[in-house]
Amino acid sequence: MKKIKAHFLALSVFERLTALAIVALAATGLVLIAEGLTIKARAAVGTVLLDRAFERALETGDAERPWPWADTRALARVSVPRLGTSRVILEDVSGEALAWGAGHVGGTPLPGDAGTSVLAAHRDTHFAFLGSLEAGDRVEVLRADGRLAVFIVEGRRIARFDAPDIDVHSDTPRLVLSTCWPLDATVSGPLRLIIEAHAAEADANGPPALTDDPHDILAGAQPQRI
Amino acid sequence: MSAATVSTTAQTRRRPARSRLRGLMDALLLLAAALAFAAMGSFAEARAETPQAAQNAEQGLVRMSDVVSGGLLLPTNQPGLFIEAPRVATDFHVTISGPVARTRVTQRFTNPTDGWVEGIYVFPLPTDSAVDTLRMRIGDRLIEGEIRERGEARRIYEEAREAGQRASLVEQQRPNLFTNSVANIGPGETVVVQIEYQESLRLVSNSFELRLPLVVAPRYNPLPEVTQSVSIDERTGFAVNDPVPDREAITPPVLNPEVAPPANPVTITIDLEAGFPLGAVESPYHAITTEEDGDSHRVIRLSEETVPANRDFVLTWKPAEGNAPTAALFSETVGGEGYLLAYVMPPVSAPEGPAPARELVLVIDNSGSMAGQSIVQARESVLFALSRLTPRDRFNIVRFDDTLTVLFPDAVPADRENIDRARRYVERLDAEGGTEMLPALVAALNDRNAQAATLRQIVFITDGAIGNESQLFQTIASGLGRSRVFTVGIGSAPNSFFMTRAAELGRGTFTHIGSENEVRGKMEELFARLETPAATNLQVRVAGGTLSDIAPNPLPDLYLGEPLMVTARGIDGTGTLEITGTLAGQPWRVSLDLAHAAEREGIARLYGRRRIASLEAAASMGRERSDVDRDILSTALEFGIVSRLTSLVAVDRTPARPDGEPLTSSEVPVNLPEGWDFEAVFGEQEAAPAPAPTIRAGNAPAASQRFAMVTTAAAPAADAAAATGTVATPGIVLPSTATPADRLMLMGILTMLLSGMLGLLIVVWRRAASLSMTTEHRVR
Repeated sequence: MKKIKAHFLALSVFERLTALAIVALAATGLVLIAEGLTIKARAAVGTVLLDRAFERALETGDAERPWPWADTRALARVSVPRLGTSRVILEDVSGEALAWGAGHVGGTPLPGDAGTSVLAAHRDTHFAFLGSLEAGDRVEVLRADGRLAVFIVEGRRIARFDAPDIDVHSDTPRLVLSTCWPLDATVSGPLRLIIEAHAAEADANGPPALTDDPHDILAGAQPQRI
Repeated sequence: MSAATVSTTAQTRRRPARSRLRGLMDALLLLAAALAFAAMGSFAEARAETPQAAQNAEQGLVRMSDVVSGGLLLPTNQPGLFIEAPRVATDFHVTISGPVARTRVTQRFTNPTDGWVEGIYVFPLPTDSAVDTLRMRIGDRLIEGEIRERGEARRIYEEAREAGQRASLVEQQRPNLFTNSVANIGPGETVVVQIEYQESLRLVSNSFELRLPLVVAPRYNPLPEVTQSVSIDERTGFAVNDPVPDREAITPPVLNPEVAPPANPVTITIDLEAGFPLGAVESPYHAITTEEDGDSHRVIRLSEETVPANRDFVLTWKPAEGNAPTAALFSETVGGEGYLLAYVMPPVSAPEGPAPARELVLVIDNSGSMAGQSIVQARESVLFALSRLTPRDRFNIVRFDDTLTVLFPDAVPADRENIDRARRYVERLDAEGGTEMLPALVAALNDRNAQAATLRQIVFITDGAIGNESQLFQTIASGLGRSRVFTVGIGSAPNSFFMTRAAELGRGTFTHIGSENEVRGKMEELFARLETPAATNLQVRVAGGTLSDIAPNPLPDLYLGEPLMVTARGIDGTGTLEITGTLAGQPWRVSLDLAHAAEREGIARLYGRRRIASLEAAASMGRERSDVDRDILSTALEFGIVSRLTSLVAVDRTPARPDGEPLTSSEVPVNLPEGWDFEAVFGEQEAAPAPAPTIRAGNAPAASQRFAMVTTAAAPAADAAAATGTVATPGIVLPSTATPADRLMLMGILTMLLSGMLGLLIVVWRRAASLSMTTEHRVR
């Protein structure tokens, strides 16, 4: 320390200023990186905490707060068996909620109810996997009330955030997963990636769209459909 | 010699230093430029949607939320955007009897295009107005609307539309925004729409005011107030954004005279039966002619046929000097049942001396959802409130997120020391944590001197981002006591449903503060109300007669010279109506002989509208939603008024549109009026999903596609849609789903790299400098 101080004092005024500026720059860089990492860490921690909260919610049958000071609740868990991914869905899409998990867009029905349910999450954390979804993929949504809704991905499209062209009151249950587009951009823009999926009922081999006992389906419900 | 050498050495050392200095400066400049560039890039991207709005405005496209007076909107190929059909003529016929105004608006529109269209006619109305009549003339057919359950009405309408029949449907989208869909308007056809609505007028500073919406040119520059009135609750996830973020920057383009005539042909006839000897009758913005007919009756007309299109028509009338009405009674008998409207002005007690002492509890929400501008506004509001306290007042401060702090154990005198302490405390508040409002509400309602006669006012400052509304409503309703709850909504999208209901139940008022520069004005208004003694504990009964129900129920408190307006049913025309209450701490009582009530049309409907409002309030007090809905539906059907659950529907059974009439852009005539972009009105809709296969041939697919777009924007009322669960398709807005994490880290890494490079540069430079010095020494 003393050595550094001695070195520093040996410098001319200009040199000292430059040295200070460099240190300040480095510090700014560190803070920025730390901030970015915090966001990532929050998303990661959120995933774990929310998973636990959701398990509890399943047991009690009622959505509860993931942690006492949270501003939101866990509503459902969406998973894609092919990718081995699962994400807990929170009840709103405020910035605070999306920092921790994926969110359910208010005004749209719950997944599995008639109409199009819209779920959204950040493209670089919880919904990064949307890029790997393909038409025909199964998307399962386990709701906090213990019911399971199964959807089949139809395809993807890109739309503006204020004109997503989603029919919220479709007759059959539908699901839309949405995140920002392009997926690898580092700035936010008006475009959204929209993954559309329909209830698996139409699928000859699949289970019905909404089942009361998820475990039947998780065990493979083929024999039930004769 | 040696001196010379030294000086040379010094010079040789200095020169490279200067050039290196320049190099370093250049590097720093470059760095700054790079950083600025990166920052600008991200901003430019984020504002990418702004030019879009400007472009919409230039094309004459509007959003439903932009419409401030009745307008017929034709859908375009851009979801949520419409073109307003040219208005040919508007006629207002208003009949005013006492505090009730019945308005018949007749508007004529033309379909300027060469295709069969479905249009939406949008009209904003005063919040507690009741639409009860719809008539429509398309071509030579006259259609009268019938009141039906909302879903049923929509079904009837849609069937008629698919069958090519002329049909129309009036729906309530929000309590102050109605839409009328009109199906199958032929090319070049003229549509005449007539609606009738009824509203009750309020006496404000000793004068009545009637307002008729005339503004026709809001589409290029929607007023902020308008945007707010139809902006949507953030919790339900719909658009709350100002549609024109840079409204100042947009100069209204010159309007095509075909599309928006510079003058608006309007005729207005107002039949004013004030019920009391009239003083001044004035229209502040328009020239009027007034026919006198006795003391209290006037017929008012516009003196010019065309009026400026940038001002609403406003008519104000005052009682003649010394003839201010103190009470009025109107009755109507419908179906053997007697209905009553009583209007009572409490004696105006001019504030003598200082305002009465009161106890003020300021509750401030500092949960995470308040972060940013909201907490700043909330702090400002509390600081303003503190500045308005006098030493005779007592006060306390409650702060909550998921924890709770009550600043003083009990309300303390508002002396300098306590105020300073509160001020310091509030200035330090930061927004974080969850929202646990219930304990804060309980703490605020906890009244240690429940029997005291002084006013106890709770000012609740929050964005209302909560889920347990009904629980909170019950707490307010049951624990109110002598306290009154005034809610102050903070931020661009507070939960105004919660705030309004909470204020109603708490017998206070709701104030919305949208931006920081509104804090002062809005809080001053609020404190003017808080400081004026109010009429409280109002009760109504009939002595010696019958009375089965009153609306609103319970009666609200009155502030700042407001009159009491109560409607009732089950009156048999005998007995006396007795109103009791407390006015400025003293008992107040008025008796009115029911036999003297004047017979007026429309009192029953007024009662119906107010009963519906009371029922909605009951829902928030924890009554079962389905029970409430059932009661609202039966009330609305009984009185024939449009509500959240009922619509007016009219169908002309004769098919109008010829079968197989195609509607494609290739058949578009070129002689569309200038300014009408056919592609914008009827163009192919690429983004839309393919029309459902069930729709039959002919022009139906096009119609249904457009209809899908219409409904997308037609129903901003999420609550209404959710309640009926049927028709309206809300315009979903997807949230922003990009974290700045990657950008932050990228910028961080770049910055670190740059600082490292600079450090390296310096080290190299110093090495070089010392090296050259030692070399010189060696040479010497």
